[in-house]
Amino acid sequence: MLHYLLTLAIFFAFFAVEAWGLNLQFGLTGILDFTYITFVAIGAYFAGVAAMTPSTNGGMGGSYIFGWQLPFPLSPVIGGIAAAMLGVVVGIIGLRRLRSDYLAIVTVSVGQIVWMVIGNATPLFNGWDGIVGVPQPYNSVMNLSTNNYEWPFLGISVIVAAIIFWLVRSLTESPYGRILRAIREDENVAAALGKNVFRYRMSAFVIGAFIAGISGALQIEYIGAWNPSGWTTLETFIVWAAMLVGGRGNNRGMLLGAFLVPVLFTEATRWITIPAHPLLMEAIRGMAIGLLMVLAVRFRPQGVIPERKRVFPLTTIPGLKEDVANGHTAQG
Amino acid sequence: MAIPLRDNMLVVKDLRKSFGGVKAVDGVSFDVPRGTITGLIGPNGAGKSTVVNSLSGFHGVDGGSVMFDGTDITNWPSHKVAQRGLIRTFQLARELRSLTVFENMLLASNDQPGQTSWQALFLRKKIRDSERDLLGKAVDLLKRFNLFHVRDEYAGNLSGGQKKLLDLARALMADPRLMLLDEPMAGVNPTLAGQLQEHIRDLKDEKGITFLLIEHNLRIVESLCNHVVVMAEGTILAEGNMSALRENENVVRAYLGG
Ligand SMILES: Nc1ncnc2c1ncn2[C@@H]1O[C@H](COP(=O)(O)OP(=O)(O)OP(=O)(O)O)[C@@H](O)[C@H]1O
Ligand SMILES: [Mg+2]
Repeated sequence: MLHYLLTLAIFFAFFAVEAWGLNLQFGLTGILDFTYITFVAIGAYFAGVAAMTPSTNGGMGGSYIFGWQLPFPLSPVIGGIAAAMLGVVVGIIGLRRLRSDYLAIVTVSVGQIVWMVIGNATPLFNGWDGIVGVPQPYNSVMNLSTNNYEWPFLGISVIVAAIIFWLVRSLTESPYGRILRAIREDENVAAALGKNVFRYRMSAFVIGAFIAGISGALQIEYIGAWNPSGWTTLETFIVWAAMLVGGRGNNRGMLLGAFLVPVLFTEATRWITIPAHPLLMEAIRGMAIGLLMVLAVRFRPQGVIPERKRVFPLTTIPGLKEDVANGHTAQG
Repeated sequence: MAIPLRDNMLVVKDLRKSFGGVKAVDGVSFDVPRGTITGLIGPNGAGKSTVVNSLSGFHGVDGGSVMFDGTDITNWPSHKVAQRGLIRTFQLARELRSLTVFENMLLASNDQPGQTSWQALFLRKKIRDSERDLLGKAVDLLKRFNLFHVRDEYAGNLSGGQKKLLDLARALMADPRLMLLDEPMAGVNPTLAGQLQEHIRDLKDEKGITFLLIEHNLRIVESLCNHVVVMAEGTILAEGNMSALRENENVVRAYLGG
């Protein structure tokens, strides 16, 4: 039972990080990224092969590139950078045009292409079979059993999640974040006020992709394996559901969304099986998430924890203290 | 004919812009002298807003040139034009709905630290200080424009007239040198429109801001502008002061009616 709860806690960190990245892209900036999971996957693959021992080509681990045996903080950084670089490519293709439906189509297409290429080009990441045997961070020195290793890995996940939370929070609550929200509302107004809309959308998109890659890196270094059946449209759909249910634009809402959708609805129900119909539970799960999303959009379009209203206390404003003290401007 | 040498903030030469087959702007040339409020009037569909959109980089032009304070800004992207100090407002108010009035105002600054991702992460104290200064500036403007009491309201919840006022106040936060105002008083109640008129005059006198003002209320144009450009069907019909234009037969026929 403890083992099970620890696993759920670790998954919670993975999905919270995922949701923060998508929230930066869509929740804050309004960028429709329908292939978010591709960035997670690229991060996972590159972190995996950066951490693994060199491929013996056709041996036990299959064939793959790199094999640099990099230690923990470096391998996820490689994963994050790889995902960010794919973000730059997709952004150059899709973000030049201002219409958001155009980018949405580009993301779907790129996702399909990347998926097919990785599946078919076996020398890259061992094709459809995927890569296995990714070492767990520092476990070669700690030598813990799978069960005992969960504590240190939870620690690692929480630290990474805390760093990412600091990152997205700092970005959101800054003039930079305000410009992203302005672009989401009306890019023409932002441009008329001197904001380079393409550059901002590009940077939010790429940072979001980087965060996705970091989450993927954490996932592969915990699970130890990764293959194309693990990142399909359904996985993108689950992050989107988490973001919309939690409350787009709100980083705390992402925590709630990540807990409700991927953890509670997806991972926590893994033990429920219907032996006579092994695929039925999977289908029910998909429908339940779909229903949750429809209900959220219908009854709480802003999500369970909506975007926070920024209020500026008058006492912080220079030259206003006297007015406030005399009560002249206190109402409104 | 001797043309007196003037210092022009804006020089527009032979500007052309078509949409499909419609020649919305068809060879328009005019100047906006520095430190003046120049009027741009004409019937609906004359091409006034298209001129503003062309000058401010909101769409490319098919021909002609735009000089802003000595720099050729023809076909520059809109954000670069704005960063130079040429700020436009929109004919239909475009508020940023889910930003508060204060946030709309703070957005307009272009030299505030924290507008790039790196600064957002590492210049926390500088951002806080600059934010405080900007708030002070925003308070002054909001008081001028009767918006102070709704400062923490979402801009999407303002009335139509309030949105127009916010558009103008926000543009001023950007410290413009030249403002293109596309019907700033449309939908604003007469008393407030009168006050706005005074504000615009004050901004010209105190801050030396130059204006190009599109306005259908000719009494306002007459009182604010000593140089008025009349457009009709994509071309310039006449230029001069309002009383001269009232005598101009072409202008009377096309716009003033009679
Ligand atoms: N984006 C566009 N696409 C197609 N046609 C356009 C576009 N913008 C303007 N037009 C056309 O160009 C012409 C001039 O329009 P414009 O908006 O510049 O007139 P205006 O002088 O500002 O009129 P008003 O006083 O009504 O605001 C009109 O015939 C209009 O239909
Ligand atoms: Mg117009």
